[in-house]
Amino acid sequence: MKTVNYVLGGLGGQGILFMTKIFATTALNKGYNILGAETHGMAQRGGSVVSHLRIGDTKSSLIRAGSADFLISMDESEAYRYLPYLKKGGKLFANALVDAFPDKRVAAFLEKMQIESRAMEASKTAMELGSPKSTNLAMIAFYSAFGQGPLSADDLRATVDTISPGSFKEKNLKIFDTCYGVGKKMI
Amino acid sequence: MKEEFLLGNGAMALGLLEAGCQIMTSYPGTPSSEILPEVTRFAKAENLNTSIEWSVNEKVAFDNAFAAAVAGKRAACCMKMVGLNVAADSFMSAAYIGNIGGLVIISCDDPGPHSSQTEQDSRMMARFGKVPVLDPGNPEEAREMIKTAFDISEEFQVPVMVRPAIRVCHARQNIKYGSLKSNLTEADFKKEPTRWASTPKFRFLQHKALNEKHVKISEKFNLLTPYNTHNLGNEKTYDLGVVAGGVPAFVIKDLFEEYARNDIPILKLSAPYPFPEKLANEFMNRCKKVIVIEETDTVIEYMLRDKHKTLGRLTGHVPMEGELVPEKIEAVLNKAMKDCNMEPLSADTIVQEAFELVQTLELPIRKPTLCPGCPHRASFYSIRKAMPKAIYTSDIGCYTLGINLGAVDTVLDMGAGITMASGFWNAYIQDDVKKPIVATMGDSTFFHSGTTGLMNAVYNDSRFVLVILDNYITAMTGMQPAITQDRRVDGRKGNLIELETIVKGCGVKYLKVVDPFDTKTMIKTVKDAAEYAYSDDGSIAVIIARHACVIGFKDQAIPESIPVKVTDDCNECGYCHTRFECPGLYQDKENEKTEINQTLCAQCGVCLDICPQGAIVRVQGEKI
Repeated sequence: MKTVNYVLGGLGGQGILFMTKIFATTALNKGYNILGAETHGMAQRGGSVVSHLRIGDTKSSLIRAGSADFLISMDESEAYRYLPYLKKGGKLFANALVDAFPDKRVAAFLEKMQIESRAMEASKTAMELGSPKSTNLAMIAFYSAFGQGPLSADDLRATVDTISPGSFKEKNLKIFDTCYGVGKKMI
Repeated sequence: MKEEFLLGNGAMALGLLEAGCQIMTSYPGTPSSEILPEVTRFAKAENLNTSIEWSVNEKVAFDNAFAAAVAGKRAACCMKMVGLNVAADSFMSAAYIGNIGGLVIISCDDPGPHSSQTEQDSRMMARFGKVPVLDPGNPEEAREMIKTAFDISEEFQVPVMVRPAIRVCHARQNIKYGSLKSNLTEADFKKEPTRWASTPKFRFLQHKALNEKHVKISEKFNLLTPYNTHNLGNEKTYDLGVVAGGVPAFVIKDLFEEYARNDIPILKLSAPYPFPEKLANEFMNRCKKVIVIEETDTVIEYMLRDKHKTLGRLTGHVPMEGELVPEKIEAVLNKAMKDCNMEPLSADTIVQEAFELVQTLELPIRKPTLCPGCPHRASFYSIRKAMPKAIYTSDIGCYTLGINLGAVDTVLDMGAGITMASGFWNAYIQDDVKKPIVATMGDSTFFHSGTTGLMNAVYNDSRFVLVILDNYITAMTGMQPAITQDRRVDGRKGNLIELETIVKGCGVKYLKVVDPFDTKTMIKTVKDAAEYAYSDDGSIAVIIARHACVIGFKDQAIPESIPVKVTDDCNECGYCHTRFECPGLYQDKENEKTEINQTLCAQCGVCLDICPQGAIVRVQGEKI
């Protein structure tokens, strides 16, 4: 399989490492190899965090700018910050206001690069469902609704089901199903 | 075979235990910090009796591991690259003297830098200390290399360094591994004073013997596949070849695969020193030019020694500073290819355009900040209030971020909070100026490198206020225990040492302990301390600002949640979120009012005392 590159962006505290874990566990269960790069230490105290995840038989952990298949960002500004990583024809998913996304100033660039962008208010939805810290799950589910890439919605949901501790399982699956539904309606 | 999705640091922990490492020592520092906890985790899971310790500093860690290897056991110590500077005194002698059991030093580099003071290249230290070095490119290679490192170390009786860069340490990869063990070798120190306590005459002989070992290791490195290898085809010559090691070697391999380029051979030198001369010559003879791509300095480039053929940093082809991220490596290759009249990998400039576009968006600058509820923030606030005109010398740790509160003027290295304070005092007092100076330093850093400077300052009568920020933990690097805790990393009891005992033992006469959350008391304590320190019969004044880390010990740090709100008395001066710089407070963009970020606020209640208008008040009984 050709290597599939995911750039996951967000802010410290939004659970980007957990998001990485869901994707990685799903890929491992499917028998793929994974290599990724994370933010730790002083850099982590900064607020802007990014995780690179490469599914396939690659030897190096960093995704080269201009070669990511997917950019999934839990924050609108961070989505713009990591925009240069997307390749031509890449897909962008952001936690942002549907009507105001993407910012006018990047629209021409997205068009030129044939980048399709999708937004949902993931934090708001997570908050409404009683889990303000589950923006990460919301974005995974939203992404999965579009059926793109090597990991299917069913695969990702199964990982959420297995990984969530007992007391959170029901809540997490509810968030997953709701946000999957939000994405489905957009297709 | 078992399999786990692990950080490079976890993969290296597996390599250590697959090799039967018996003794493991370390001092935390990004990006090395997770190696020792991962060794602890695996050793516990497999019920191994591996001896594991967080040492007080890197030199201590090094010497402990060295002695164990001299006694015949397999030992390892790991640290970040600037930590190796602290251990340099021992490190420089270690290869001369050598070891019996394998001794592996893992020195983790931070090109970027992401969480460090310098971008120094540990391979340079390896050369300086005449220690063979291996340079892994990803977690899996690092795991394998550690086993090779132990074997070489035992075969030649020299320490061996493994130098992973941050993209190895903090990469994550699915790793398959075999059985883990702690070797059963018993400690058996064989007395041989001419070796273990050698005088200069014998050091000369040891140096000679070491140089002879290097010739042999270099021969071994010529054939050390897959770490040192090239893919020259049968063609006679190439216009351009690439020489690379460590992380860049794999980035280049992936790039050539992606662009389907097999017209450029690669010489991978991931065991660069002692230099595999024969292998390198074989490659050089078949290439008209070579481009050397290595992190972060010019180790291979210098050792190739052919300045007519070699492109790299010295010819301006490779950036002299910063991490060699894949897009930079692509640009370096493109330039080298063009200079050799070859088709570049890519010609489009869209990535550059994208980065320029992002620049124009003026995205929020997210600089590192102290956490909401961090006791250091309260300490820095009080220090500035009490001594607004002082020079603030500080140190390495979370509290470096006191710079955001205007309460940190200098950061040099571990321990310099104190030594620069005494240095400033001496410089000013020579001109008869009693300069107010406040030094800050964390508890773990004080034990690491603070005491020598403090003893020196006491003896030489330097005057300043030292505030030791005691949060019981080494926080920045990921919550490693300080020696004020009674549990060691593996769960065994530690004989804890009280900070007060050490401070008094350094000859300090004036010592106060204060809780920084009580800012009123702390401001007064700092003022009193300054008055004492600068009085004629005074001396250094030390304050221990003691409050548990809000991340490491949440319940202890916030014993009572104090929800707060901003009242209409707020005049939007911005003091709380700009000067006090608490992430739990912000000015809403739309209504331009200061508000509490309920997700971030730690409910520590410190802000109640800092608002100039008294507009932050406690919420009593109502829902927020």
